[in-house]
Amino acid sequence: MEARAERLPSHGKRRSVFREERRLGAAMVVPSLAVIALVAAYPICYAIWLSLNEYSVITPGLSRFVGFDNYTQALGSSEFWEAMKTTLLFTAISVSLELVIGLGMAMVMHRAFRGRALLRAVVLVPWAILTVVTAITWRTIFEPELGFVNTVLTKLGLPGGDVVWLGQEGYALAVMIFADVWKTAPFMALLLLAGLQGIPEDLYDAAKVDGATAWQRFRRVTLPLLRPAIAIALIFRTLDALRIFDLPYVLTKGANGTETLSLLAQKELVVNRNTGLGSALAVLTFITVMTVSFLYIRFVGGNIRALTEEEE
Amino acid sequence: MALQGRSSVRNLVGVVLALMAAALVLASCGGGGSSGGSEGGAAEAKTLQSSEAKPTGQVTWCIGKDTSGAFKTAVEKFNSENPGAEAKLLELPESADLQREQQIQRLRAESNECDVLGMDVTWAPEYAASGWLYDVTPSVEKLEGEFIPSTVETTEYEGKNWGIPFNTNAGFLYYRTNEVPKAPTTWEQVYKEAQQKNGLVYQGERYEGLTCVFLELLYSAGGHVLSEDGETVEIDSPLTTETLEFMRGGIEDGAVPKSVTTYEEESSRRAFEAGNATFMRNWPYAYALGKESGIANEFAITKFPGFKGNPGAGVIGGYNLGISAFTDNPKGSLAFAEFLVTEPVQKEMFLKATLPATVTAVYKDPEVKKEIPFTEELLKAVEQAQARPLSPVYQEITEAIYDNTFEVLNGRESPKGATSKMGSEIETALERF
Amino acid sequence: MTAERRDTLGQVLLWLAVAAIVVFCLFPFYWLINTSLKTGADLSGANLVPPNPTLDNYSSIFKDEAFTMALRNSAIVAGGVTILSLTIGSFAGYALARLHLPFKFLILAILLSISTFPPIAIAAPIFEIWTEIGLYNTYPGLILPSLAFGLPLTVYILASFFRDIPRELEEAALIDGATRFQAFRKIVVPLGAPGLVTAGLLVFIFAWNEFLFAITLTSTPDRRPVPAAIAFFTGSSQFEIPLGTISAASVVVTIPLIVLVLIFQRRIVAGLTAGAVKG
Repeated sequence: MEARAERLPSHGKRRSVFREERRLGAAMVVPSLAVIALVAAYPICYAIWLSLNEYSVITPGLSRFVGFDNYTQALGSSEFWEAMKTTLLFTAISVSLELVIGLGMAMVMHRAFRGRALLRAVVLVPWAILTVVTAITWRTIFEPELGFVNTVLTKLGLPGGDVVWLGQEGYALAVMIFADVWKTAPFMALLLLAGLQGIPEDLYDAAKVDGATAWQRFRRVTLPLLRPAIAIALIFRTLDALRIFDLPYVLTKGANGTETLSLLAQKELVVNRNTGLGSALAVLTFITVMTVSFLYIRFVGGNIRALTEEEE
Repeated sequence: MALQGRSSVRNLVGVVLALMAAALVLASCGGGGSSGGSEGGAAEAKTLQSSEAKPTGQVTWCIGKDTSGAFKTAVEKFNSENPGAEAKLLELPESADLQREQQIQRLRAESNECDVLGMDVTWAPEYAASGWLYDVTPSVEKLEGEFIPSTVETTEYEGKNWGIPFNTNAGFLYYRTNEVPKAPTTWEQVYKEAQQKNGLVYQGERYEGLTCVFLELLYSAGGHVLSEDGETVEIDSPLTTETLEFMRGGIEDGAVPKSVTTYEEESSRRAFEAGNATFMRNWPYAYALGKESGIANEFAITKFPGFKGNPGAGVIGGYNLGISAFTDNPKGSLAFAEFLVTEPVQKEMFLKATLPATVTAVYKDPEVKKEIPFTEELLKAVEQAQARPLSPVYQEITEAIYDNTFEVLNGRESPKGATSKMGSEIETALERF
Repeated sequence: MTAERRDTLGQVLLWLAVAAIVVFCLFPFYWLINTSLKTGADLSGANLVPPNPTLDNYSSIFKDEAFTMALRNSAIVAGGVTILSLTIGSFAGYALARLHLPFKFLILAILLSISTFPPIAIAAPIFEIWTEIGLYNTYPGLILPSLAFGLPLTVYILASFFRDIPRELEEAALIDGATRFQAFRKIVVPLGAPGLVTAGLLVFIFAWNEFLFAITLTSTPDRRPVPAAIAFFTGSSQFEIPLGTISAASVVVTIPLIVLVLIFQRRIVAGLTAGAVKG
């Protein structure tokens, strides 16, 4: 076989090598793109089509085109705006809490030299537990009357021992936020820890020499250098929180003020069997999330470009 | 050859839009339902004739959890009496909502997995309209004399019967005998006494249970949700407003605790048993459990009191048996369903699983009367109970009812506002064609 | 306060914080185990230690066919997703990291944006499509959606791992007469093994965890994966929610994951932080 030397290619050979690489590259990328096209791109377009129709409950298979009626109905319904409010509120509160608590945990883990491996293992446990199992566990712990939380509160004589946590508006969302924070603050902590470990000690030493207090060191050295890590963590978590489904479904099935956008869409689709309206709600959810994700691409774009850039 | 930032984003958007347009065209060609006309699932359904021949083949019975083992016993009995057939129990989750979701999932996929479906009494019209059931009018007509008439009503849609009444249910007013010497005869009296004593509890959480509670008052007042033919909305009426005012008034006066809006069947039962309420509205199942609790000798039940000068009304519950349109074994399935409503099986279900029978004769059986002390009251309650609105869009109707009633109970909506909201939401639901 | 006292105080606070973190992270799992060892009336109590510990719940879930089948289903689906993801994803990752390809940024951007889709947006269409082409309630029907969501993550992680492999090794192989693909197969993949393990673990855990498609695209116990099975647990208890058996099932399902995570913690952390640190 003719040896394909790459070291001193002539002009023509360089071009053909390029072309071969391009072909191979395309072939290697096509399977992934095909899966995506089949399982994600086509369905989302189908969903848009479904949302422009109304489907009969009386006559199976019958449908009629209604244009944007489903969207008008969705956008005009208080249920949709309630769900939007719930989703945004949940996202804002839980992501903020996860960031703060995660940062705190990361700093503790950074300082604790002994047992760091143990800590890292411990911190991965909430992340490893299935979301469904998480929901069931917290549902049990907050069981009214004889659940753990209420029993402890009553024994200690603290108020709240008779609250039906998951049965009341406000409280149910609080429990959901708490459960989500429990599950993901550790994940945030790991991301931030990696960032923390990238900050050179000399910067702290220099700041100490300049007489900066711990708080000033935190604000002037830590935070600015952590910004990229925080940004990434924030965006990952925000997108996940906006789409959340598993946790509220198993915790309360969306009752008592915990109905998120995804849950509302699923309810219309499955329980009310309103394929048209449900698809419209799903598409609206999609638009909401994608708007935020375009921000994500702009932020992380630098990383992606670095990844795909050729080393010239 | 690094791509420039802005042009790459423009490229991205352009390509994505082009792809979406292409796929949209593809989707609209290939996907979606036919726009051709067909009459309707109910009109096109096949009628199943009852037959005397011995059943054969496999029959899978999809129904909620067999908590007492009575379902399994019935299946075994059927199998031993019919050696050519093999019946099998497929247990669905305990909650009715989940049962419906799981049945619908299979029916929409036209799966032949479930042959006999255990349907809550409100599902038959929906399933029938979607073309998922066999028309079983011949069987029901054959057996009609044996059933309590109100139970048969829940199987009707468009003039045909779509299920065989399997078990039934009607609620009671429970009261503490040490606090209330004589059972009140009107709800107005109940609320007044509840205010003076320890209160009334019922299922006030935002779910189907609340619809039952609300309808019990509305029906008694003489109100309706839909017209007889199910085509017009009648809930938007002064009677509804008055009923809601009455319910809200109960909470404001202290006759009904505020926490009632977090109660379902179990929580209200526990509150009553713990001595925190004088009155309770609940289903018969709570009777047996109450007899084992701390208040065993201090409570009694009575049929629902009247409201607004009219006699009391109950709402009928229970399950019907439907034959899936996609079954491989329609005749065997029908035979199995008919087996489940024979007197001996109905008696077993009643005694062992506390599932009230739909067959009248069972209530006159001396053994049953001995075991279950409220047999007569229950029979009367079921006979007088009314069906919830029978409509293919019942899901959305009940949501409109319990959503808005819940808001009124919590003081977040006025009775008048809630009434018109209920009306318009149900109107929208009925417009689904 | 003297500097030394401040130091000790700082140390004490630090270790308190560490203890708090440990309790915070582990308590719910402990509670789950606790509940799984209780039956009957004990379940309504809030005892920190089961008063009458018993393995009844565990024996009953293993006798429950629906549960053991769910374990098998999840293993098959998650395994399938992982293998396919690694295979297809490594191809794409290599192409993006090494080969001359137009629109690379676009491709990666598309892949990453797919992973931000809300699953509900495509669940209903997939249900309709799968029902029509007969993929409803089948293994491939479950594997494909999870694959679509797992691929972007895999490609991203593998691309960054592949980039870190020194080019010289491949160049040497090319000079020796290997094709690009052979270089990929024989050099890059083995050297990128840590990346494959990391990506594989993350995808496996993701697929195992998947819930919405699990409940929407299956209807029978013989295809239903674990998260759906647990959520629909009818169990063998007579209580409203079969707490004891659900807890036992949850523990059984979680322990292997925790073991996996503990063994491979370094890799997992590396994978999770790949985005944050690199670039």
